Amino acid sequence: MRKNRNGFLGAILVVVLALLLTACGSGEETGDNGTETTSGEGVTETTSGTETTAGEEMVDGPTITIGSANFSENALVAEIYAQVLETAGYPVERNLNVGNREIYAAALEDGGLDLVPEYVGSALSYLGGTPTADSAATAQALADAWADAGIAVLDPAPAQDKNGIVVREDTAGELGLTTVSDLAGHNDLIFGGPPECPEREFCMIGLQDVYGLDFAEFKPLDAGGALTVAALEGDEIQVALLFTSDGVIAAKGFVLLEDDQGLQPAENLTPVIRQEIVDAYGDDLVAALNGVSAELTTEELSEMNRRIGIDGEDPEQVAADWIADNL
Amino acid sequence: MIVAPVIVAPVIAQADEPFVRWDWVGRNLDNLWAATQEHIVLTGIAIGIGLIISMGLSIVALRWRKTYTPITWVTGLLYAIPSLALFALLVPITGLTLLTAEIGLVSYTLLILIRNIVAGIDGVPEPIIEAARGMGYTERKLFTDIQLPLAMPVIIAGVRIATVTTIGLITITALIGQGGLGFFILRGLQFYSAIGTTQILAGTVLSVVLAVTADLLLLGLERLLTPWARRRAVM
Amino acid sequence: MEFVGDVVNWFLSAENWSGPAGIPNRVWEHVQISVIATGLAAVIALPPALWLGHFRRGGFLAVAVVNIGRAVPSFAIMALFLPISIRLGLGLGFWPTLLALFALALPPIFTNTYTAVRDVDPALVEAGRGMGMRERQLLWTIEAPMASPVIVAALRVSAVQVVATAPLAALVAWGGLGRYIIDGFAVRDNVRVLAGGILVAVLSVGTELLLGALERRIVPRGLSRATEQVVPPAHG
Repeated sequence: MRKNRNGFLGAILVVVLALLLTACGSGEETGDNGTETTSGEGVTETTSGTETTAGEEMVDGPTITIGSANFSENALVAEIYAQVLETAGYPVERNLNVGNREIYAAALEDGGLDLVPEYVGSALSYLGGTPTADSAATAQALADAWADAGIAVLDPAPAQDKNGIVVREDTAGELGLTTVSDLAGHNDLIFGGPPECPEREFCMIGLQDVYGLDFAEFKPLDAGGALTVAALEGDEIQVALLFTSDGVIAAKGFVLLEDDQGLQPAENLTPVIRQEIVDAYGDDLVAALNGVSAELTTEELSEMNRRIGIDGEDPEQVAADWIADNL
Repeated sequence: MIVAPVIVAPVIAQADEPFVRWDWVGRNLDNLWAATQEHIVLTGIAIGIGLIISMGLSIVALRWRKTYTPITWVTGLLYAIPSLALFALLVPITGLTLLTAEIGLVSYTLLILIRNIVAGIDGVPEPIIEAARGMGYTERKLFTDIQLPLAMPVIIAGVRIATVTTIGLITITALIGQGGLGFFILRGLQFYSAIGTTQILAGTVLSVVLAVTADLLLLGLERLLTPWARRRAVM
Repeated sequence: MEFVGDVVNWFLSAENWSGPAGIPNRVWEHVQISVIATGLAAVIALPPALWLGHFRRGGFLAVAVVNIGRAVPSFAIMALFLPISIRLGLGLGFWPTLLALFALALPPIFTNTYTAVRDVDPALVEAGRGMGMRERQLLWTIEAPMASPVIVAALRVSAVQVVATAPLAALVAWGGLGRYIIDGFAVRDNVRVLAGGILVAVLSVGTELLLGALERRIVPRGLSRATEQVVPPAHG
C-alpha cells in the first residue's frame, strides 16, 4: 500500500486551502471588474488603495466603496469618481455593475455601498417623490427625501441622461413620427425596454397615463443594451426605450422622439453618498466630487459613451482622459 | 461542437464591420487574466469547501447507512434548484457578496461529490477490507490508509465533474457581481457592436479553456493515482 | 410567513394566468423549446451513437464529447450565439436558446447510448452472429433493446436538465419561465422570483415523472439495469 496516497488527499486540501488564503489575502475581490490596469494619474494598486504615488498624503478614514448600476455609462461616471478620489488620497474600493436601482439603492441604504452616481429624476421617483424638469428643484427634493436614510445628495452635473423613446428611421417615416404623442393611436406596435419598465413611472406607466399609449406587447429586454438595440434593428420591436446619451442612437440612425408632454424629468448625474462618509472626511471630499459634477456635460458624456460602446475603448482610459482634459 | 465553427466561420468571414476586435483583446489581457484568476479562486473555494462538507457527510452516510438516502435526497434537491433561481433568492438574504455565490456553488457540488465518495469507498473490494481487519487495522486506519486511497480514482472523477460544473456556473454568478469571466459575457451583452461580441467571445472562450484545462489536469491526476486500475467512475 | 402568503396570492391572481406573460404561455414556451432541443439532440446523437457503439469504435469520441459538453457553460453559448444569430437574421431569443439547450442535451444522449450499446453482453451478440444475423439486425434486435434502459434514462435525464436550464434564456430576450426569475430579480420582486423558481422546479419534476413513467412502459420488464450509471449533463 503506497502511503503517499494519503498524502495526495492532503495535497489537494493544501492546494485548495492555498487558493482560499490567496483569496483572503488579496483583499476583497467582490465584483472587482478588472481594475488592476493603469487608471488615473500615478495610482497603481487600486483595490486596497494604500499606495499612492505623486507624493499625496494618504487620507485616513473609512474605505469609500463606490458602486454603480449595471450599465456602462453609470459605471463610467463611478470610475471617474473613483479615480478622482484615489488621486486625492482617499481609500477607495470599487464594486461596479451591481444591478439596477432596487439593488444598488438598497445597498447604499444599508451600507454595502457608499457612493453611487445617480440620476436625480428617476431616483426621486423611486423614493416616492415627484420630480420635475427643474434640475435644481429635483435635486433638492431628492436630498430631502434621502436625508432620513442618512444619504447625502451632492451637486448635480449639467449632464443628463433621460429615457428616450426611439424608433427606426423607416418606422418614423412610415407613421410620420417626430414626437412621442405621435405614437398615440398606433396600437399594433411592440415596445421593448428593460424588464423593470412596466413598473416605472417614466417608462410604461407614464407612457400609458400621460401619453395614452397602448402597445400591443411589451418585450422585456435589457437597459438600453445589445438586446434592445438588436431587437429594434431586427424589427422584433418597433419602439424601444434607449438612453438619450447613448451613442448608438446616432450610430444606428434611429429617431429619438421628442418628449413633447414633458414626461421625462430632469435626470442630472449627481454623486449620492452616505452621510457618514461625508462626516468622516468633510468638505474636501464634497468639493472633489462637486468639482467633477461642475465639469460634466451631456455632450461629453455622450462622447465618452460612444468611445466605450462603439469604439471599444477601456472605461478606465476614457475616464482618465476626461479627468486629464477637464480637471 | 463541430456544427459551431461551420456556422460561425462564414459569419466572421463576411463581416463588413469586424466581428471580433482583436485590438480590444490585446489591450485587455490584464483584465482578462484578472477575471480568470477570480474565476479560479471562486472555483477553488467552492470545490474546497464542497469537498470538506461532502467528506463529512459521506463519512456520516457510510457509518450510519440509513442517512445515505436522506442525504442524497437533500443534496439532490439542492442540485435540482435552477441556478438562476437559487442565486436570485439568496441575494436578499446574504447580499451581493462572495458568500451568496459560494453558497450556491458549493450546494451544486455536494450531490456529485457525496455520491462519488460513497461509491468509491463502497467499491473497495471486500476481501481487502477483510484482510486488513485480519491484520489488525482499526476502523479509522482502515479508512484513511486503505479505503480512501483505493477510492481515490472515483473520488477524483467526482471532483473533475464538480469542478467543470462549477466553472460553468460562475459564468452565471456574474449576475450578482461575482463574475470572473462571466463579467465579460454580461458586459458584452450591453453593447451592440463588435466590442460587445468580442467581450462575449473572450469570456466564453476563456471559461471553456479553463474548464477543459481543469478537466485534463484532474484527469491526469486520476491516471497518476491509479496506473493499474481500470477507471470505473460513477458519473 | 407573510412572504409565503404573497407567493400563494401571486399564484391565485388571475392576471398571472392570462396573456403573453401569463403562466400558461410561459409554460408553453418553456415546454416547446425543451422538447425541440431534446428531440433535436436525440435525432442527431442517436444514429451515430448506436452505430459507433455497435462497431465498438470511437470510444475516445464519446468521452471527449461529454467532457467538452460539460465544459461549455450553457449561458456562454446563449450569449455567444446572440450576435451570430442576429447577424444571420435569425433574431434574438429563440435560436441562441435552442442551440445552447441542444448543446446541453446532446453529450449525455450520445455518450450514454454509445456506452450502453458497446457494453451489451458480447455473448448475446455472438449468439446472434452465430444465428446468421447481419450487423443491422444485431443492432436492432439485440443491442438496442438491451441498451434501451440506459438510452431512455439518458433521454429522461437530458430532458429534465434542459427544462431546468432553460430559465437562463431569459437573459437573451427569450420567454419561458425564466422570465419570472429574471424580471422579478430586476425589480427585486422576490415573490415573482420564487414563483418562477417553483414553476421551473415543478415542471422539472413533472418532466422527470412523466418520462419516468414512459420509461417503465417502453423498457422491457426483464431489464432492470441500474440507471444510476447514466452520465448526466452539466448543471447549467
